[in-house]
Amino acid sequence: MNLTRLTVVVAGLLAALLAAPTARAQGLDRAGLIANLCGNAGAMGEAAAVLTGLAMSGDAADRAFAVPLARAVIDRKLACDDAGAVLTESGLDAVTRAPRAAAGEPRTPVLSLKNRATYEQVDAALALRAAPEAAQRAAALKTLERRPALIPEGLLDAAAASEPDAGLKADIETLAQTAALTAADPAARIRALARIADNPSRRALTQVSALTADPAYAASPEFRAAVDEATARIGRGIAVGDVLATAYNGLSFASILFMAAIGLAIIFGLMGVINLAQGELIMIGAYVTWLVQQGLRVVAPSLLDWYLVLAIPIAFVVTAAIGIALEASLLRHLYKRPLMSLLATWAVSLFLMNLVRVVFGTQNLQFETPFYVTGGVPVIGDFIFTWNRMFAIAFAVVTLALTWGLVRRTPFGLNIRAVTQNRDMAACIGIPTRRVDMMAFGLGSGLAGLAGLALSPIYSVNPQMGQNFIIDAFMVVVLGGVGTIAGTVVAALGIGQINVLIEPLWGAVAAKVIVLLMIIAFLQWRPEGLFAVKGRRK
Amino acid sequence: MVNITRRSLLQASGLAAVGLASPLSAPAFLRNAQAQSGPVKLGCLFSSSGTMANLEGRLNYVVKMAADEINAKGGVNGRTIDVLVSDPASDWPLYAQSAKQMLQQEKVSALFGCWTSVSRKTVLPVVEQENGLLYYPLHFEGDENSKNVVYVNSPPASSVLPAVDYLMGEEGVSAKRFFMLGSDYVWPRTINKQLKGYFKSKGIKESAWKEEYVPFGFTNFQTLVNQIRAFADEGGGQPVVILTVVGNSIPDFMREFANQGILATDIPVLGLDMVEADLEGLDTAKLVGHLNCWAYLQNAKGPANEAFLKNWAAYVKAKNVPFSGTVSIDPMVSAYDSVHLWAMAAAKAGSFDVPEVSKAFAGLTFDCPSGYKISMTGENNYVARGVFIGSVNDKQGFDILWQSKDTPKPVPFSPYG
Repeated sequence: MNLTRLTVVVAGLLAALLAAPTARAQGLDRAGLIANLCGNAGAMGEAAAVLTGLAMSGDAADRAFAVPLARAVIDRKLACDDAGAVLTESGLDAVTRAPRAAAGEPRTPVLSLKNRATYEQVDAALALRAAPEAAQRAAALKTLERRPALIPEGLLDAAAASEPDAGLKADIETLAQTAALTAADPAARIRALARIADNPSRRALTQVSALTADPAYAASPEFRAAVDEATARIGRGIAVGDVLATAYNGLSFASILFMAAIGLAIIFGLMGVINLAQGELIMIGAYVTWLVQQGLRVVAPSLLDWYLVLAIPIAFVVTAAIGIALEASLLRHLYKRPLMSLLATWAVSLFLMNLVRVVFGTQNLQFETPFYVTGGVPVIGDFIFTWNRMFAIAFAVVTLALTWGLVRRTPFGLNIRAVTQNRDMAACIGIPTRRVDMMAFGLGSGLAGLAGLALSPIYSVNPQMGQNFIIDAFMVVVLGGVGTIAGTVVAALGIGQINVLIEPLWGAVAAKVIVLLMIIAFLQWRPEGLFAVKGRRK
Repeated sequence: MVNITRRSLLQASGLAAVGLASPLSAPAFLRNAQAQSGPVKLGCLFSSSGTMANLEGRLNYVVKMAADEINAKGGVNGRTIDVLVSDPASDWPLYAQSAKQMLQQEKVSALFGCWTSVSRKTVLPVVEQENGLLYYPLHFEGDENSKNVVYVNSPPASSVLPAVDYLMGEEGVSAKRFFMLGSDYVWPRTINKQLKGYFKSKGIKESAWKEEYVPFGFTNFQTLVNQIRAFADEGGGQPVVILTVVGNSIPDFMREFANQGILATDIPVLGLDMVEADLEGLDTAKLVGHLNCWAYLQNAKGPANEAFLKNWAAYVKAKNVPFSGTVSIDPMVSAYDSVHLWAMAAAKAGSFDVPEVSKAFAGLTFDCPSGYKISMTGENNYVARGVFIGSVNDKQGFDILWQSKDTPKPVPFSPYG
């Protein structure tokens, strides 16, 4: 932001120095350019062509004049009025670069989709040539890289020639070689092929395989070999990328299923209570996360980016407390009547949902997206590693480790397992089963709260969100075998992966049906699920 | 025979008794259940709970606001308007049940309601049987023309097709390939069927489009966005996504789309059901440039829109409405138009009887907040509306990219499917 402003100021100063009409050596019609920028889609297209020309050639003064224009149009920071236009960010007149305010009711032109792509390209081209900071030029190069076909010919050579930063210069030359696929020189084309094959993707494959129709493919054996080699390499890269992408998608879906189901597995496994309010506890976890975010905004804005981490204990404690209160006040009295407890938890689910609706409203909550859950990095082929999914996966792994440790390695966990296996015998040897129930219910609810936190960067958070998860969660718990953590993990991984494998073949609707049929068939064969707890359960 | 009659009579009277006695009893959501002879009653069929609550819920308040406006000017035919609200809870059969209750017990003069086409389809037989009148404020798939439904918003020929034309044209992106992604129900399937017919009529080959559907409430779009990328990278011209998923699937799709690094300049998304409210809670900086098409956008120019926005903000503040006073979406305006169109027809007919009111439709015009003068003819129950194409901006709203010169004549039945 500041850098942009700096660019604007620098450009403004330069323009002011050279503003005298006689100083315009190349005769750039500045007023005409601004008028076109304020015109219709066609005029804006013409203006883009002029700006592209400036990025390629033209004198440095005109280029400096042009630098802020494309960005201002993209950001709608160009206010057009009868006297021309004003760059609203710096408050300068677009033509003279003298400070003035826009007169009357200024219009801010909206870019058509086609022009938007062009202007982004022009902005990057101008920045690559004229931005003062190396980082800005590197960012501009990244933008240009997205659409190598649209890079005006000669731009990269000119930029490389004037680039002072050695590393960036090398990057520009690399891109220039990639862009040389359609060049006349066969050697340059073969180099370009090798460069393209370094970053395999379906787009690259389409681009390269089109070359088999090129006259050079039949004429030159070297070129032919290079094309075939590049095609094969890209094909391998895509295959690897596809396998990784499927595994990653499956894992990410599995992590969501696991987070939604783990709390339920403990509650259902231990007490046989079908807790239909589990989805709402997930929702409350997400709302607590939002409240933490809002609190940080007021109390400690510098920590705002870390709200997802800071909210972990709070989301857990709040939902666990709700769970314990629920157990103590309601479910405790219904243990002998499982159907009643099912109805009671359903009522609780409706109550919580409507309570949240009345308090917060029905709209989707506005979450900050910190840098660690934004965007993704392309890895290989068409596989993009998205950070919000990775956050959920990592979160699920840590939750799994902690839950496993708690159940397997602590006295409390020992009690839970004892009660799960044989409630009466556990009571006989002095385990306070009622207290264990209460604490386990709290643990299960707290885990649901954590699920809400982990899901907030992926899904919309609103009062209904819990309902999406409850069926899937039960599916996982029943398939996994009631009350086993290992079963929950395996079932989540299995359902997640099978879903992801089926979806591209027969569509999302069929995937859901097929997975359900498979689970029904499996339960016919093994009603106790994947991993049955050995012991006398009733 | 006697038994059955008696039983059904008992049931009906029992239901009526429950409905009248306790406004809080489970399925009878009518809040304003006292039968009065004074004011004329209008009924709302918009969900305040379930997946559609965030979108439909606000329409209840718009209808009330429009009724208040009319009441402030003395009502219709000397009677004030009383608006009854129900909550069909995003449960499609419940819309029909609520409609029946409103028409039979409350004797409402007109119903305003439904968002999804599937809910309209369930209400349709009820309004036809009871000879009621339903004002439907959403743009939809067309191919329907009941004398008991007023289609206040546009059929595809005057909403979707102009937008697709824009995308295919020079000024748009010269789109050549189309990925159609929708929720699995009647509206997306019919729209896509018509679009395919339209593409065929334009000489586009079948290999240039792909169709995928997801279940209602679907949220995990990772694999589908992968598929869209693969489709786009096959080459063969500019790809676009025509999105007909509804409800909370929209923000979840857009979030995944942006996270996988796809910009509107790479693959633009035309979200046919996407409104400002769907962008709440999204970081729209990465979504700038994606499109929607409606008969109204909040940024529409003109005094009618300024007045509407001001009234809505004031109404939200005064009545403590649980929705944003600064967001105004097409179905809100369409619901607002609906009430005024009904009032004008009733005033013109000098009656509240459905057949009389229907006869008065021909020649009605209304200054819609969109800036267009919307009108009805006697030919059918469609309303001629303007067309806007909006482009997502970084402030969770839509800029107007293109708008029609006038209001195209609505074509109920599509020639393309």
